[in-house]
Amino acid sequence: MAATQTYLADLHPLRCLPTPLKIQNPQNQCHYFKQKSTNPVICKLKAAVIGGGPAGSSAAEALAAGGIETYLFERSPATAKPCGGAIPLCMLDEFSIPLHLIDRRVTQMRIVSPSNLVVDFGKTLKPHEFIAMLRREVLDSFLRQRAESSGATLLKALVTNLVVPTSSREPYLIHYIMDNCRRQLAVDVVIGADGANSRVAKSIKAGNYSTAIAFQERIKLPEDKMGYYENLAEMYVGNDVSPDFYAWVFPKCDHVAVGTGTVCSKADIKSLQRGIRARVRSKIEGGKVIKVEAHPIPEHPRPIRVRGRIALVGDAAGYVTKCSGEGIYFAAKSGRICGEAIVKASEGGEKIINEDDLKREYLRKWDDKYFTTFKFLDVLQKVFYGNNAAREALVELCGDEYVQRMTFDSYLYKKLASGNRWEDAKMVMNTISSLVRCNIMGREVEASAQKILSRV
Amino acid sequence: MSMALFSSPPLHFPALSSSKHHTTHKLYPSLTFNKPHLSFLVSPKAIDNGSGGTTSGGVAVEKEDKAEAGGVKVEESNEASLGSNGSSPPVVVASAGAPMTEGVKMFQDSRWVGGTWDLKQFQKDGVTHWDSVIDAEVRRRKWLEDNPESSSNEEPVLFDTSIIPWWAWMKRFHLPEAELLNGRAAMVGFFMAYFVDSLTGVGLVDQMGNFFCKTLLFVAVAGVLLIRKNEDIETLKKLVEESTFYDKQWQASWQDENSSSSKDS
Repeated sequence: MAATQTYLADLHPLRCLPTPLKIQNPQNQCHYFKQKSTNPVICKLKAAVIGGGPAGSSAAEALAAGGIETYLFERSPATAKPCGGAIPLCMLDEFSIPLHLIDRRVTQMRIVSPSNLVVDFGKTLKPHEFIAMLRREVLDSFLRQRAESSGATLLKALVTNLVVPTSSREPYLIHYIMDNCRRQLAVDVVIGADGANSRVAKSIKAGNYSTAIAFQERIKLPEDKMGYYENLAEMYVGNDVSPDFYAWVFPKCDHVAVGTGTVCSKADIKSLQRGIRARVRSKIEGGKVIKVEAHPIPEHPRPIRVRGRIALVGDAAGYVTKCSGEGIYFAAKSGRICGEAIVKASEGGEKIINEDDLKREYLRKWDDKYFTTFKFLDVLQKVFYGNNAAREALVELCGDEYVQRMTFDSYLYKKLASGNRWEDAKMVMNTISSLVRCNIMGREVEASAQKILSRV
Repeated sequence: MSMALFSSPPLHFPALSSSKHHTTHKLYPSLTFNKPHLSFLVSPKAIDNGSGGTTSGGVAVEKEDKAEAGGVKVEESNEASLGSNGSSPPVVVASAGAPMTEGVKMFQDSRWVGGTWDLKQFQKDGVTHWDSVIDAEVRRRKWLEDNPESSSNEEPVLFDTSIIPWWAWMKRFHLPEAELLNGRAAMVGFFMAYFVDSLTGVGLVDQMGNFFCKTLLFVAVAGVLLIRKNEDIETLKKLVEESTFYDKQWQASWQDENSSSSKDS
């Protein structure tokens, strides 16, 4: 250690100045050291991103583009993740996703109530607007490749442990297995983007979150039935398909994914799946199940998202909206914001950062930008997904064109759509009256059930 | 018909049917509880359980309309197990006799025409009798909760509650409840006015001018509106807690700032 000190003293006589220095050879593998918290580091910041999905790849890309030495860990680059695969238009723009990756452009959404009232969403879409459906393996590998070409080092490895040192001045040690040998890597900053069962989150004791389980079967349909789903996706609500979420039929490249999800009735997921298959029966007759998959979906952020110089992004942090269960865009966006936060706070890798920097540049920015969106969707889920009566009201409301336009605008562009005050007021009145009517119906239905039970 | 669908995951059925025996038995005790919402959750599952090819007799239950659905599911599973081409008519044991047409019993009512209620059939003295439309729709929704139907493109449902005019709802549901609540408010108001008058000597007109009395009046009205049953107090408390729960989950990351500063580098 003393040897390195003198070596560097000879090389950089201006070391004691408080301003950061530019280093000529950034490949310095040495252990960094600093005297005071505001002193410049001698070597560049080293960052590791654990998890190479949309969140990890975007974070790695932002870090590498900012000049930070980045290592991206991904344990299985080729797996097809169980996922809806729908991304909003703004993601195509913001993340420059080439259009040839898109399998399908969904321009029509059909939502079906428990009493099979069907409402078609999509009349208000302009010709260039659609929901892009992609295969996760295609999207993920594209984003990973782009991160690599920005300068990140992609490591096909399984991270087994993340050692958090007791002193805050020491680097984090990542234990991983690559090509069947155990290795270690010391880094200054870690971004945990390893999904719902995040190991990074466990190492920093980030706390747990409640999860929903999403279960889906991929079914290959005969030609004529597949034609119906050409650019149509369906959403089914009802107690028979999910007590607190919705069931779906999403078209994929050459098959459809029929699935459902739930938070509170995880044990009954199989019977809920049978429920959705029964509801869609005639439309998937003759189809063959080619794959069955399930995955947990976080319901809310973890209690701790940043600790020390470790930040969680994407599913690991719990950034999945309620009501629609959308996570890909928020994962990629949070990865990017976190990467940019680190680049900014460390001034291109010259300075060491601390927890306050991460909280200020990443968490505060994220919460300010997206908390209202998440909260609004939470309220929608609480109000409309609770019981069959509320679901009927939801479907009735969705028939209104103004509601459709606002919904699509908010979903596709992730911005609160600019509405007309008068139409907003009408929408609120319609909401209240639909809810009142359907709840009255719901109460009557329950009352008649009571009568039958008491008769028996 | 849907044979391929049932037969392709061969691993599913054997595993499922063995577990279904247990679940069907487990479900029956819960049906005897007098909780209507539980029965709705339970009943679709009981029906789904029947499709595994287990006891059809077991599915035929207390509720008379469920029995028909039980028969439906049995014959579907028979089709699957026979491995037939799906187009042959069902060969079964329908317990409560309604004739099966394509093997699925849809909601049938002479007044339910083309996916909506035929209002002309609800006429009484030349005017549509909305109360019976509401009753019919309630019965249909209850039937559907117990026997979820597959949605079909050929026979779409077109009925929604906005077809029934607002005054029909008012007359039937709002007015009786309003009468009840106004009655309560009047009784409480009269007694409180008398009580305050006897204690302080301030008459009714003078009470209305006093700020404290006006506050009491506001509290009394709000109480009568919000608390209609004893359970409502608990419900309101839970509502307040629930509405702030999600916010608390998001703010949790920020709480750490105050408690621990040791991790800061």
